[in-house]
Amino acid sequence: MKAHIERKKSQFVVVASIATELSDVMVVAKEISLAAANAKAIAYRAGEKARGFQPITDFINELARETIELVNQINEQASALYETTVKEYRYEQANKQFKTVSALSCEAVYKDSLVPIAAQLEEELEEMRYQFKNQVDQLLDQLSEIMHPARAARVIAANSRIEASQAGEFLQSLLTVAESVDKAAELMYTNVQRCRSSMAMMEL
Amino acid sequence: MKRTTLFDAGYQWIVFGRDPNKAENLIDTNQYMIRTANRCLLLDPGGTELFAPMLAAALHYAPVEEITDLFASHQDPDIISSLGLWDQALPQARLHAPAIWEGFLRHFGCEKIEYVPIEDAGGTIDLGPVELELIPAHYLHSSGNFNVYDPKSKILMSGDIGAALESPDAPMFVEDFSAHVEKMRFFHQRWMPSNRAKNDWIKRVRKLDIEMLAPQHGRIFKGDDVERFLDWFEALSVGSAVQV
Ligand SMILES: [Fe+2]
Ligand SMILES: [Fe+2]
Repeated sequence: MKAHIERKKSQFVVVASIATELSDVMVVAKEISLAAANAKAIAYRAGEKARGFQPITDFINELARETIELVNQINEQASALYETTVKEYRYEQANKQFKTVSALSCEAVYKDSLVPIAAQLEEELEEMRYQFKNQVDQLLDQLSEIMHPARAARVIAANSRIEASQAGEFLQSLLTVAESVDKAAELMYTNVQRCRSSMAMMEL
Repeated sequence: MKRTTLFDAGYQWIVFGRDPNKAENLIDTNQYMIRTANRCLLLDPGGTELFAPMLAAALHYAPVEEITDLFASHQDPDIISSLGLWDQALPQARLHAPAIWEGFLRHFGCEKIEYVPIEDAGGTIDLGPVELELIPAHYLHSSGNFNVYDPKSKILMSGDIGAALESPDAPMFVEDFSAHVEKMRFFHQRWMPSNRAKNDWIKRVRKLDIEMLAPQHGRIFKGDDVERFLDWFEALSVGSAVQV
């Protein structure tokens, strides 16, 4: 029972910490989006010299947009999971209490009246555990999905460096853009990885 | 859990308390039940820790589906922190509780049970053979607080008013009023905040014909001890944590 309560506690903590990690990812995604806007402006001023850079800025922008959308979806999923965790916790508690009631009421005239309600609760609890597992799987899927834009961002950052080298006097500004995209992507990668490993530690 | 019948004439009043398995650091509480032919009302059903022993005790008198009503005099944890569990056990039941506490009490979990708010002026609960009166007792000690008066049995369930802090094996009834006073004094001086509220309640309650004054902690007052309690409480100055 003790181990069980510990497990529940860790679920609450894990689900809550996902929300924190994700709000950081969101900040990062918005930074990338800003970097894309900067890059676009620089590339525009650089004209011919930064021709190769222009499609890259569109990529960066698209990437940021996609990330923000995914984070929103993951947030929704995480709060649904949190709700299930709370509900499941309440049902677990009631289930445990009902068992105590039946042990305490063995001499009571109406002891049997609780049986159908306890059975129903057990059934709903089973259903909820199933739902919980499903929601965790979905969340893990979404978390691995968000790794794609993070990885892509790093590739784009590398390409940006190459393109920047042809941009003459705009080299430094474009390198800065590439640097910030790379840093943001790395942060995102670390955060999401942390979410995934803490979820993996959560015993199901 | 000790079970004592207080009244039995067409319907019953039963008090539950003195739970021998209760942890020592929890305050001892009295829970009350009014049982009619096909319904059952639990008054101040108690804290989470008390849910299992309380439901087990109630099953001596009524099947779960006939426990149709709960009453919470106020929002305290020793009164009703068990709500989330009753919500699972009695999905069809109604909870009668102060209107101002609704948003607070729902934090204990109240999804299936219907919350029937009691407005400040009071109200009634019709159980069939008896219509109970909900008597305002605000600020004694909670800012939204009600007593339950049964005009047929002449029992006033007074919640924290009349409460005494004493050992868990104490008798159910007051036997020696003057000896009992010392067990009540600190509780009333410290937990009750307002002399004005106290006097208002005393005026209201003196108009009722009361045979038993039944608090949520300690012992029940019978007969002349009811009047003795009202006199004692009237003379007592409360709100002691603030030095004037
Ligand atoms: Fe209280
Ligand atoms: Fe109390």
